[in-house]
Amino acid sequence: MLAVYRKLLRLYPAEHRELFGEEMLAVLLQERSENADHRLMDRGRLVMRETAGLLMGALREHFRVTEIHEELSFATGRFAMRNGFRFPKSTILFMTLILGGALVAIKKGQDIASSVPDINPPLPVHIQPVHSILLGGMPLFFAFFYAAGLIGWAILFALRRSGVHRLADVSGEPK
Amino acid sequence: MALYDMSSKATTESLPLTEPVLLILLSLAGQPQHGYAILKDVERMSSGRVVLSTGTLYGALRRLLDDDWIERYEEEETPRGRQAYRLTPQGRRNLQLEIDRMKQITRLATLRVATKES
Repeated sequence: MLAVYRKLLRLYPAEHRELFGEEMLAVLLQERSENADHRLMDRGRLVMRETAGLLMGALREHFRVTEIHEELSFATGRFAMRNGFRFPKSTILFMTLILGGALVAIKKGQDIASSVPDINPPLPVHIQPVHSILLGGMPLFFAFFYAAGLIGWAILFALRRSGVHRLADVSGEPK
Repeated sequence: MALYDMSSKATTESLPLTEPVLLILLSLAGQPQHGYAILKDVERMSSGRVVLSTGTLYGALRRLLDDDWIERYEEEETPRGRQAYRLTPQGRRNLQLEIDRMKQITRLATLRVATKES
């Protein structure tokens, strides 16, 4: 389990890992050793809670870092090219998780909708209910945004590789 | 009339505190504590109702550090990975503001409920 926790900690921004990574791992280890003699169910619950906590924590930290960068770029007026610009690869994992969650929720919603008997009398003219149109279109909607996000990430990654963002470091003053 | 001074913009925006943050601050109010001790203390204080994960705890600690409500506390012979935290004077002041706010609400609620019952 320790290996999994280590991997999950790697999802955090580097700055956060440097500050708290070791401490967090120490807390997780201590928690695990103190729960070693507990029932399997309790240990399973602990692992689930910690895994979810680390995933959500990493997500929050990435958004927090983004927020800070946005604030800084607004303050300095430098939107397109900023020093230390980075787009974390773990974002793809989060995007996949969010897409998966959304699709599962939609499927559940469809299952519930189909299990409830239709109490409305049938209409003479067949009109597709609005909710079924929405539910049908939502996976497409999410897939579209997922694809757009991936393309955006690829572009930013390519720009980063090409060193365009380092133009921000170029000074007009001769050294 | 306000019973307490909330002139600081940062303080006004931060209050009211969420229950986990309030419990973390209360945990540090008595003495400096390290991460695991805070987790256990929060669980104990809330009678097991609030159980923080490590990720949630360190997210909250990070924010509190950034806002200067808590600080790292250097202990002698601290084992690796066991960092203690303590309240800063600002953190203590803000915790007191929150307690005053809660007291005021409790007083008002008690009064209103009593009036309704009579």
